Amino acid sequence: MKRRELLRTGAALSGALTLAGCSRLMETRAAGVPPVPEDRPDGVYLPSHVEGMEMVGTASSGDYVVGLMYSYPHRFWNVNGENVSLTEIDTDDAVHLMASVWDADTEAILPDTGLSAEIYRNGSLVSQEAIYPMLSQPMGFHYGANFGLDGEGTYAVRLSVGAVSTRRTGAFEGRFADPATVEIPFEYSEAAKEEIEFRTLDDRAGTPGAVDPMGMEGLPDSFAPPESALPGRVLGAATSDDARLVVTALDGPPTGIDAEGTYLAVSARTRYNRMVIPAMGLSGRLERDGEAVYDGEFARTLDPDLGYHYGAVVDGVESGDTLTLSTTVQPQTARHEGYETAFGGVTGGMPDVTVEAP
Amino acid sequence: MSTDGDRSRRAVLKAAVALGGASALSACLDRTDDDPVPTGDPASKPPRQHAWREYVRHDDHGNTQLPSHQILLYLDFDVEGPPTDEDQEALAASLTALDRAYAWRHEGLLHSLAYSPAYFDRFDASLPEGIDLPEPTALSPFESPTFDRQDAVLHLASDRADVVLTADRALRGERETANGVSVPPLTEVATVASRRTGFVGAGLPAANQDAAGIPDSEPVPEASPLFMGFEAGFRGNQATEDYVTIESGPFAGGTTKVIANLRQRLDDWYDEQSEAERVMEMFSPGHAENGLVEGVGDNLGSSSGIDQFVDGIVDDAREHGRVGHAQKAARANRDTDGNVRLLRRHFESTDDIGSDQRVASLHFPSLQRRISAFEAVRRAMNGTDLTEATPAIRQRVNNGILEYIFVRRRGNFLVPPRRHRVLPTPRPE
Repeated sequence: MKRRELLRTGAALSGALTLAGCSRLMETRAAGVPPVPEDRPDGVYLPSHVEGMEMVGTASSGDYVVGLMYSYPHRFWNVNGENVSLTEIDTDDAVHLMASVWDADTEAILPDTGLSAEIYRNGSLVSQEAIYPMLSQPMGFHYGANFGLDGEGTYAVRLSVGAVSTRRTGAFEGRFADPATVEIPFEYSEAAKEEIEFRTLDDRAGTPGAVDPMGMEGLPDSFAPPESALPGRVLGAATSDDARLVVTALDGPPTGIDAEGTYLAVSARTRYNRMVIPAMGLSGRLERDGEAVYDGEFARTLDPDLGYHYGAVVDGVESGDTLTLSTTVQPQTARHEGYETAFGGVTGGMPDVTVEAP
Repeated sequence: MSTDGDRSRRAVLKAAVALGGASALSACLDRTDDDPVPTGDPASKPPRQHAWREYVRHDDHGNTQLPSHQILLYLDFDVEGPPTDEDQEALAASLTALDRAYAWRHEGLLHSLAYSPAYFDRFDASLPEGIDLPEPTALSPFESPTFDRQDAVLHLASDRADVVLTADRALRGERETANGVSVPPLTEVATVASRRTGFVGAGLPAANQDAAGIPDSEPVPEASPLFMGFEAGFRGNQATEDYVTIESGPFAGGTTKVIANLRQRLDDWYDEQSEAERVMEMFSPGHAENGLVEGVGDNLGSSSGIDQFVDGIVDDAREHGRVGHAQKAARANRDTDGNVRLLRRHFESTDDIGSDQRVASLHFPSLQRRISAFEAVRRAMNGTDLTEATPAIRQRVNNGILEYIFVRRRGNFLVPPRRHRVLPTPRPE
């Protein structure tokens, strides 16, 4: 009996705190989020609504700069292997927190670090989670998660960046090898949050296309380099489930890859917005006169000139060679609305594509 | 309610508060036991401080059931430089009194005192060549724990909450006797720099699942000895006490001990994952595919059977997009003859070190002959090679249980044999 009384008291207390924090919010906002458009196309589409975001702050440590942004709680689709599942907004969620990590020197966005967040209020833990990499149309690659909060006030958000295990080349070789933690204060008020842009797209929702990228002061973009700016000789490009794969050939691999030969780099970006698509498994088969001269992995690689890309060293590329690219694992990032049906996604499948060397 | 009832309830609550948030409720639950506590004989204790297995309960499969209630007292000795004879006598008197007060059994008290590299730094001499006791270090590419560099840690363990509480209070000078024996307090020679508490065994995690970090759905099964819902420490997956014992030199009969503290965040573990996915991430995809784990895993008997799923881990990663905690760790937790290298003695807690909050956490003592063995196993648990094999395995996601545990503290210690447990020099006679 005593134990139950204690538990009951504890439950009542924490329940009250939670409600005080977000009941008002959920009454207004949850009702306002339009449903996912019916008859979504199998590819990138205009979402039902667009939410703005607010910069909370940035902080740097070691090689990294970390930016923290927030918005209304979002629904999103988690991707784990082939499985894509919708994460609905929870009644306790107060905000969608977003973080970006970039190189302090070049401002290149780092998509493969691993990130976790601790949220404190007056020294008390409110939440702690590993937060997921995500793709959204206005923002491109970022880390994000919905969080419940204990009402309005000042929070301390501690963001921990993990060391990068993705292959690094060129001036990135040997960098991003240590973890780092930064703390960013977050003043949360519902009134301030309600001022963040929220607009619906009405009859354009659910049609092919993408909303414009949202530039934000102090936040580097996560565009892939334009085709014309890629180093090497661009052999061509092909689109698989609205992921555009641009292939370029360099005379030799960037420093940090211990091999000799032609370096084939595949730069993957979203259709319409040219946002980097990281974290997929990619393999390629290079054929000459019907014979394979390379058949194997294109390794995830982070390079300051090529950007985040997928690369392989081959013996050489001749005019008329064909490169067939196969996605072995769809991009392992969660998707905001409008991207969940593309790049694999809920409708599945990224067909093989072939590029012929000119 | 009778006057007696009121008084005993007050006493129980007071005791629970004294124990701290962590085991408060467990203490309440167990305090109905009014059986006398067996006293001990200092001359009849085993020569190894870490000799616990023979003196604790076992389940039907011979798996060790660790004492339900445990306390860790991190100590800083007041003296600078090498300890004096007076320090030695004072500490010896406290420990001998404890030995006299309690039988070396789970209904009595098991305890051990272990020393850090920082403690041994106060001497000019260094530890013998064969003793592997480095300073603690970060062991994953994403953690930055605070290192426990106190001089020593005293570990108290009993199936009776009132025993660990009483011993703890007597040692800290809050009462004069324990189980009828006068106990000189440790605080005559040391300061208690940190006090950590916990519990383990079926029923206790379920009773404490109101702690932060565990979803409100109360998902922890009554039968589970741990918050994550599965049994652990199967006999076949643990090193023996003999195996972890230092064999030669002045510390022969001792062992090394790593103690980490991890915060647990189990919302997604329970609410986002299916039972099969939890089995995959705790054990291996093969365990889920073959339905090897029923409920909390008592059906596994005396071994998790993990060894058969170690070699296929890269294929598992590619095929299932998930790998298991146990299968990753096991890769480094066997010697060339197939013997298990670590003896894990972890227990649950609601300590949130540095705050008064009740947050689900885990105290993770591990015994091994050499600290480097622990470090190798912990690094294997990172699965960094698997994140390279497929993007489905991420630094912390789909990568065993790394998404749900956050290392906050780590300390390395030497557990001397009993004959050298009192303020040893690096080369005791």
